[in-house]
Amino acid sequence: MSLILEPLLYLASGGFYWWWTQNLTVFGLAPNLLFAAALSAAILAGPVKGIAWCFMLGLYADMLGSGVFGGWALVYSLMGYVVYVIKRHFDMASPFSQLVAALALSWGCLLFYQGLSLVFASINPAGLKIFLVEPFLNALAVPVVFQVFYWLKRRSGIL
Amino acid sequence: MSYSLYPSLHYGARYSYFVRNVPANFVALLETDQENRGLKEKVRALEMKLQESAAMTSENERLAREMRLSRMLPWAGSWARIVNKTPADWYGSFYIDKGSEHGITVNDTVLGMQDDRAGLAGRVFEVYPKFSKVLLLTNSAASAVCSIAPSGMQALVEGKGTWLLKVNYVPEDAEMAEGAEITTAPGGLLFPPGVYVGKVRKVYPRESFMNFITADVAPAVNVNTLEEVFVLRRNLPRELAGPQEPAK
Repeated sequence: MSLILEPLLYLASGGFYWWWTQNLTVFGLAPNLLFAAALSAAILAGPVKGIAWCFMLGLYADMLGSGVFGGWALVYSLMGYVVYVIKRHFDMASPFSQLVAALALSWGCLLFYQGLSLVFASINPAGLKIFLVEPFLNALAVPVVFQVFYWLKRRSGIL
Repeated sequence: MSYSLYPSLHYGARYSYFVRNVPANFVALLETDQENRGLKEKVRALEMKLQESAAMTSENERLAREMRLSRMLPWAGSWARIVNKTPADWYGSFYIDKGSEHGITVNDTVLGMQDDRAGLAGRVFEVYPKFSKVLLLTNSAASAVCSIAPSGMQALVEGKGTWLLKVNYVPEDAEMAEGAEITTAPGGLLFPPGVYVGKVRKVYPRESFMNFITADVAPAVNVNTLEEVFVLRRNLPRELAGPQEPAK
């Protein structure tokens, strides 16, 4: 069953992010729901599935942008691995720890992607506006997305 | 007299009308309250409709203005609606709702209409059957050969990944004033000549180790307010028109 439900959840996450960025951006800003979904999946799922989810959501983010293709996939995969390591030491189930992790990992991901883009394509993809505001929006979005994913996991056994 | 002898009768007679009508008044009050609530609801719905119609009117006016402008353009093309802008790549790219099924090809020029004028927004970057991705001129990887008014001197305008563009490699003795208009140059292959690109915003003095000057350019098209774009049909050389379908 999860073979059908997980691709559906993946498509729904991507589709919802598409809809949000098309209709609800304010001054070009919106919470990065792909990041929130990747972090929530990494917290809830085991190491292999968590990193696979992060990779696939990263590919979706790459498809939406025009930067180094595969850059976000790599960044999110590494994030999945980092979450796998830190969740053995910290309680990642509480909203506060998710909020702190989202804040730190958002900045980490943006900086890493910026570095990748500068090294491989000599382009500067992330704007200052995104760098300063998006991590806070992500920090608010992650606990909500986590609850939705957790509810789906308990109900249907996915992730 | 009645007041001194029978005050209760006096007051009873005086206010009996009000006392008798208390139930009726109370019912009227309730009805008024209900009516008031209904009217408030109606006002709210009408205000919503008013806002909706104001938005539609302004969209209608914008589209009419854009259509009028596009008819005056010397190039043929088609209109497309922007269907997605990603915050992480806000000044880099966006998707439009027209693809190869509508005749869009790679490297087609994309114009935006602003302040009653057509300006260069970017070029088509990836084409799918029903939608395409547009690479904006503000993307760090985008550039265009342009000429600067009034001398017509050619220079390279590059995106910076922010809302501003940069004009580069201008000889230090060139005349480039703030406010000068920049249009695409006849020598460029990707864009048709004469398309408005933007205005020089700030000229930077020459650095001691360089022999050219640079300037910031305010783009002709503001990506934040752009909703529709005009994609020019260009008969580009085969090598610039992207991958072709194999001959059957």
